[in-house]
Amino acid sequence: MRVPFAAIARTRMAVWVRRRQGEDALPVTLARRRLYILPTRAGLAFGALWIMMLLAALNYGNSLALFFTFLLAGFALVAMHDCHRNLLGVTLVSVSAPAMFARGAGALALTLENPAARARPGVEAALDDAPPTGVDLAPHGRGRLELPLRPARRGIVRIDRLRLTSAHPFGLFRTWTWAHLPIEVLVYPHPHGSLPRPITSGPHPGESSRDGSGLDEWMGLKLFREGDSPRQVDWKAYAREAPLMVKEYSPAGADLCLFDFAQLRIPDVEARLSQLARWVVDAEAGGERYGLVLPGVELAPNRGPEHRHRCLAALALYGTEAAPHRA
Amino acid sequence: MPERQNNRALLWATAAFAGGLALHVDRLPAWVSAAAIVLTVWRLAAARSRVPLPGLIARAVLAGVVVIAVVARFHTLNGLAAGTALLVLMTALKLLETHRRRDRLVLVGAGLFLLLAACLDRQSLPRAPLYIGETWLACTALAVIASDRLPGRAALVLAGRTLLLALPLAVLLFLFFPRLAGSFWAVPRNDEAVTGLSDTMTPGSIGKLTTSYETAFRARFEDELPPTEQRYWRGPVLHRFDGSTWSAGSADWQPRQPREFLGRAYHYRIALEPSRHRWWFALDTPARSPDPGVALTRDYELLAARPVTQPTSFEALSYLATRQAAPLAQWERPEDLFVPPGRNPRSLELARELRAQSGSDAAFVNAALGFLRAGGFVYSLEPEKLGTEQVDDFLFRTRTGFCGHYASAFTVLMRAGGVPARVVTGYLGGEWNPVGGYLVVRQSDAHAWVEVWLEGRGWTRVDPTAVVAPERLLRGAYDLLPEAMSASTRLLRGSPWLVHMLQSWDAANAWWNERVVKFDAVSQIDLLERLGVRSPDAWALGWAFVLALLGWLALIAWHMSAAARPPRPDPLARAYARLCRKLARTGLVRAPYQGPLAYAEALRAGYPALAAGAYSLLERYAHLRYGPPEPATRARDIEAFRRAVARLSPRR
Repeated sequence: MRVPFAAIARTRMAVWVRRRQGEDALPVTLARRRLYILPTRAGLAFGALWIMMLLAALNYGNSLALFFTFLLAGFALVAMHDCHRNLLGVTLVSVSAPAMFARGAGALALTLENPAARARPGVEAALDDAPPTGVDLAPHGRGRLELPLRPARRGIVRIDRLRLTSAHPFGLFRTWTWAHLPIEVLVYPHPHGSLPRPITSGPHPGESSRDGSGLDEWMGLKLFREGDSPRQVDWKAYAREAPLMVKEYSPAGADLCLFDFAQLRIPDVEARLSQLARWVVDAEAGGERYGLVLPGVELAPNRGPEHRHRCLAALALYGTEAAPHRA
Repeated sequence: MPERQNNRALLWATAAFAGGLALHVDRLPAWVSAAAIVLTVWRLAAARSRVPLPGLIARAVLAGVVVIAVVARFHTLNGLAAGTALLVLMTALKLLETHRRRDRLVLVGAGLFLLLAACLDRQSLPRAPLYIGETWLACTALAVIASDRLPGRAALVLAGRTLLLALPLAVLLFLFFPRLAGSFWAVPRNDEAVTGLSDTMTPGSIGKLTTSYETAFRARFEDELPPTEQRYWRGPVLHRFDGSTWSAGSADWQPRQPREFLGRAYHYRIALEPSRHRWWFALDTPARSPDPGVALTRDYELLAARPVTQPTSFEALSYLATRQAAPLAQWERPEDLFVPPGRNPRSLELARELRAQSGSDAAFVNAALGFLRAGGFVYSLEPEKLGTEQVDDFLFRTRTGFCGHYASAFTVLMRAGGVPARVVTGYLGGEWNPVGGYLVVRQSDAHAWVEVWLEGRGWTRVDPTAVVAPERLLRGAYDLLPEAMSASTRLLRGSPWLVHMLQSWDAANAWWNERVVKFDAVSQIDLLERLGVRSPDAWALGWAFVLALLGWLALIAWHMSAAARPPRPDPLARAYARLCRKLARTGLVRAPYQGPLAYAEALRAGYPALAAGAYSLLERYAHLRYGPPEPATRARDIEAFRRAVARLSPRR
């Protein structure tokens, strides 16, 4: 049996680094003590070339060859210093982890701040050992980085650690640090399944919208958001110096659905959750009102992004409450 | 889009390689440069459009062809010239399969290696800027390869700045990094000849040298310069004559005959330019060998074991006059009396006549010189072509010639008259450089003269050219024969200002060769001694090296933190900050979003009892900072504000 020494060493290393640095809390400022630096492959090749140049120049006692060899040595040292300095003091201001679907493309959004009066080109971040994505930070500027994430399973994904790194300016050295933040990403089930949506399966099969009044059902007020129709704004309330509110109605004739976990005839739990997620997504897209019934959870029919999130979150967390897994 | 960016990195990497190639283009065989350029253009064309690149098999075949071609040309793959040619061609081939980042880095590495080879080849001052340019280019290419987003101009600035910061370290390491006294492995010889005297002479060969303005060597005398007409610099001595060509003697292994040195001794230092010959030139006659690797031959030439491929300098000792009382060695006589039998009958006849008329060998020498003086001979760089009986043709028909013609003909006359004689080649004269305080001897000063054997005096210098063109003793052939100069050189020498500039440039070159190129382990110890280290050794050097390195690192750290520090706020801002600190003691700290007036308002509301001065000071600040500018009183107002802030003591 092959022993995966590299993987073991890597795990040990990660544990050691975590113990050495401790847990982090936002904002994370990259201080000298937590910045690591090593030559890259290109840097090692440069070093090998340099040693050959030095030997040749020494051997021939050639002054000019020696001078240029030393100039390149100084160049590499300044490059190393510059590389380290490029990350030193950068602050990780925020990490936002919007919920995403399993097997879908999502991203972790990082905001970095450069407190210094000099630019910081080529600041990169990555999820542990994944390939990094980069951003150039202007003097006193902020930059946003999106780290692609493709979770395989639903539930809560804990991001173990983030790697902030830079090989600026010449790619001869790479400086990096790890940030250990309590980042958890909610992963909805993969919306998948071909069963038709059970329309009018709820306790009040569409009565309310057929009361003959011809008006849509009044649902309530909500805060105005960009994209809302000005015709639905509660201008009277606004005239009374209330905040801009929008009157919400459910459209006349909209169907009311109730998705019930127990009524689905799919043996596999994950597949069942996937089917329910599919329905929730489709119903929301179709502008319908829908509710969700899971063992222990009951969400009354409603609609809107909030409701959709509540439903999908319930599906995501079904049966996994206590055990978030790692990305 | 990424493809285009890769093209940019490819372009810079190619530029780094092409820069390395440019350093060698005048030394490489033309076909090597041409092939490299064709391959480069091919790759760039493929990057821009749909020109196909060769497949694996085609590339392998090309590589094989390249190796065979280099071996065919140089008969080896070892050595600087062959190695450089191979590196250039192989890198150009590598360019054809350059697709990834790693391949582009290989190109930059090749550029740096070509830089190294160029340094090993030539170290002259005018080439130093080219080398710096290539270093800059390679470092810029590294920056562009490392970052797709970096614009070319920014990369140039970045690399330039980094190299400038690296410069102090380079200088310190250059001075203090311990050098090797010997070498790890044998240095391959590069015997390709450049201009300079060779060890054979035909009458016309020196004339060709005379058109070259290149420096042969520089001589710096300790005190007095030798008289102008005595500045003969001794080079190869030629004994054998086959009727057209003079060459070295056959008995170089024979012992040197001791000579008596007469007159004052001249101590001086010669700095030779690379000639790729083994001759070291010294004022006629050198009294000792300047270096263990250099022999003082039986003919009092200085002959080194290795060709001069790098600037070389040495201390020498010479006397202008010598005497050898002992008779001419038996083995020397036949060779120095030999004339090719049956050739040049009229010259031999003339010599016999002149000898018969003269009472002694010395009188015979004078008679022969008299023949040249009276015979209507002309000193010219462009003599008529001589027939097969060269000496006859010259002495009786053309009568125009250069130093080589006169020396050759005169030696033949002497030998035919029974006086042992030989041709000495070297240089005559030298231009005084007032900037550097030394004599510059150029290839155009190349000269040939004669030595005759006179009983009781030994070998005696006779210069037949001086009889025909006495001015040659005082001025260079260049000034004597303006037709030898190129139009540009004539123009340069016409203007005193330009001549001065040229002399300064030459002095800079001399300094460079002496102080930079020749800097070695011995110079390092000298330097430490001058810096005040008593009896320095390798350990002292090691310590100096470590200290220099640490000092530089501190300098870099300081520079970088200085660059990162925000600029110091102006006096008004400092006074305002102080005011806010004082007011904060009341308990109401100015919030970052509050301007001075808003803060005053808040204070007024929170602490009505506060000294009224506090509010007015905040208002004064707002007025000074944001009000209309009053340049005349502004400085005074700010000072007054500062004092008022200092006096303020807010109480709750």
